[in-house]
Amino acid sequence: MANHESSAIKHNDHLLLDQPLLRLPNELLRKNFRSAHFVIERDTSALKNLLKESATAAVSGRASQQDVLKNLDAMIIRMRGVKRKLSQYAGEEARLHEHTAARIQHLDDLYSINTVEDVKYESWSRKRLDRLIADYFLRNGFHESAKQLAKERNMERLVDVETFESMGRIRLALLGGSVTEALTWCAENKKELRKMECKLEFMLRLQQYIELIRAGTQPKLVEAINHAKKHLVPYRSQHPREVSQACGLLALLPNSRNAEDCYADLYRPRWTELADLFTTTHNQLLSLPSVPLLHIALSSGLSALKTPACHASATNQGGSARAHQDDNSSQEHGVCPICSTELNDLAKYVPYAHHTNSHVQPDLVMFPSGKTCSKQRLIDEAKKAGLPPCQVKDPMRGTLLHQEDLKKVYIT
Amino acid sequence: MTGVDNASASPFAPLQADLARMKKSNLNAAIGDVDKILEMLERTREQVAQESESHKISMAMTRLQNPIKEKCDAITSDLKEVTKAQRAFGKALDKAMPLRDLPMETDAMAEYPEHVVRAIGMHLLREGQFSVASTFVAETEHITRGESFMANPLDGTEDNEIDSRSEQDLQHKFAQMYEILAELKGSNLIPAIEWAHENSRRLEARGSTLEFELSKLQFIWLFKGSSGTSESEYAGQTSAFEYGRQHFARFQRRHLREIAQLCTAMVYAPNLEESPYNYLFQTDTAFDEVALSFTREFCSLLGLSAESPLYVAVTAGSIALPRLLKYTTYMKEKKTEWSTVNELAFETPLPPSMIYHPIFVCPVSKEQTTELNPPMMLICGHVISRDSLHNIAKGSRYKCPYCPQEGATSDTVEIFL
Repeated sequence: MANHESSAIKHNDHLLLDQPLLRLPNELLRKNFRSAHFVIERDTSALKNLLKESATAAVSGRASQQDVLKNLDAMIIRMRGVKRKLSQYAGEEARLHEHTAARIQHLDDLYSINTVEDVKYESWSRKRLDRLIADYFLRNGFHESAKQLAKERNMERLVDVETFESMGRIRLALLGGSVTEALTWCAENKKELRKMECKLEFMLRLQQYIELIRAGTQPKLVEAINHAKKHLVPYRSQHPREVSQACGLLALLPNSRNAEDCYADLYRPRWTELADLFTTTHNQLLSLPSVPLLHIALSSGLSALKTPACHASATNQGGSARAHQDDNSSQEHGVCPICSTELNDLAKYVPYAHHTNSHVQPDLVMFPSGKTCSKQRLIDEAKKAGLPPCQVKDPMRGTLLHQEDLKKVYIT
Repeated sequence: MTGVDNASASPFAPLQADLARMKKSNLNAAIGDVDKILEMLERTREQVAQESESHKISMAMTRLQNPIKEKCDAITSDLKEVTKAQRAFGKALDKAMPLRDLPMETDAMAEYPEHVVRAIGMHLLREGQFSVASTFVAETEHITRGESFMANPLDGTEDNEIDSRSEQDLQHKFAQMYEILAELKGSNLIPAIEWAHENSRRLEARGSTLEFELSKLQFIWLFKGSSGTSESEYAGQTSAFEYGRQHFARFQRRHLREIAQLCTAMVYAPNLEESPYNYLFQTDTAFDEVALSFTREFCSLLGLSAESPLYVAVTAGSIALPRLLKYTTYMKEKKTEWSTVNELAFETPLPPSMIYHPIFVCPVSKEQTTELNPPMMLICGHVISRDSLHNIAKGSRYKCPYCPQEGATSDTVEIFL
């Protein structure tokens, strides 16, 4: 009974890791719509104004035929522009709709599977692993690997290459010391960022200011003062300390000897921090978890699988190699995944699973050496090897024994 | 609570309905209205270009105003439809998949990117994704050079070289494995037998009978004449006989009985179905089974598990995640911490297929036995941990906590599970 229970899939719980799969396209759809809405608002009101003006001008006789034609052409060009942009947004929308449909279907598939032992579950779970690996690739900048994996596994609609690629571009630009790309991104998401009370834009502006002062020439310093007036002072109420520090910076150029610690802090290279701040903000805005999903799955899974035996004799290589063999002969499953080379090092850093019940074969018998084995298995093997009746073979030493020499083990 | 909801009821049906609605109310409606505006503008432009009288021009311009305004309003209502559908979908999504936080406070994996990268690389190789794996290796090298992604990328160049060499080696090995498996699928056992023969000493040391199983299957396969080119009725049996004579000798020591059975079966060739050896020749699933055990042995010789550990770990992870989540939220509420670093504080039930090592929990101390605290069997056959034994012993004697038997501690035996 208990076995059956532990194999059953609790669907809602099972999809914890898959929340971003639907959340992200949903956020992107909303963002896409906002951009489209913005274009339409701006251009239709411009159109209406232009039309009104040129109509009044025509009525009052101030405008010639040429003027009217010129205005009409301007309107046509503007609306063509609107159409072009809208078509782009509609294309993106259709793409996101398709992605959403494919993802809902994929998640829905799980509901037709009720137990972990189902063969269909394995293929579903493999697909999930591929998705998690792709997510890991994308977050760490392995874009080509991610694309190739998505293509080979035929899951392009389940993977968000574009989003992470554009994020990666901005991040790289920041690491290279350029804030323009990140500032454009801030402008695109202005309202939402303000709602989140995020300080990314301020930090970017502050860095721009610091760089101007670092340059140190007279025109740059003037520019720095103007920059501060325009972009830093408005943030005075939110970041009073930083703004006043920034003002103080004017008096303490990077080469001045008695720069205080807090000023030195402003002058040190801060690009990695900015890049990280951008990544965090970006993920937060799109409701993406801050940690790669693979990490979450792994740390939970490694712990669940780990037993005290997995790193036993870790200091003694020969001993652990022997331990592997022991396990192979006594267990049907082959090498344990935690003992296997791939994960063994990684699993050192997680706690092992807690168990309140023993999990051993039900019919254990003991050899005089202390080694235990399933009795049924011994009998089966003896039959296969054609041993004389009542004789069994010690799988470790190869010696023959009478069945009566085995001792039954009672596990409570 | 989760027990209440019906396992088979998918919450995604309403979501699909809302998606269909969202697909219908899309931005294309707005594009249609923009087209109409363009049409009107172009028509008026033509009109104006042909007109010379200024009052007619101003008439045309004035008349254009209202329809354009109407169309602009139409666009606004088009957009409203889109938002409405999107909102409805968002609500349905919240209902189908209520947002739940993931445990992200402590990311133990983040500190060891090099191990994670290696695990993924090996996973790709063993899955036969060689091209993705090589792209991945190229990209890791590129990125480690550029950004400080890894704290110490595999310690210097010398190690790196060794690592990439072993990676190539591994790729080569897995390529070989997939070749042999492909042949097995096509019922060609020869490459697998050759491999098993090359590694026969190591396989035997592991107690594996793979080589013999393969040869046996080859014999049976020839015997049944499945090779296709059967010139005479007995061609299959003759070639099986030949094969057996050539190859079975070296298995005599270990598998004499089975060989004897196979040979005796030849006598029954005309009506094998009726013979006592019929069961030997039921090979419907034999090729799949042998392919499975081949994969297992092949990986074991490389010191690897047969299933990708990454796959098993991630699958186990998603099974165990709800418990972890429950635990972390509880701990956050109580503002306490679990003091034992080595062991998880809660049980994570995994399906039996995911329990690899035998686990023994001492019935006295309720602790799992370890190398330092191994299971000891008492004279009566009951098992407790060594620490517990020391605790219940009085001097050199103990009494079993489960039955009335008493004994000397020196008569207990450490057992190996």
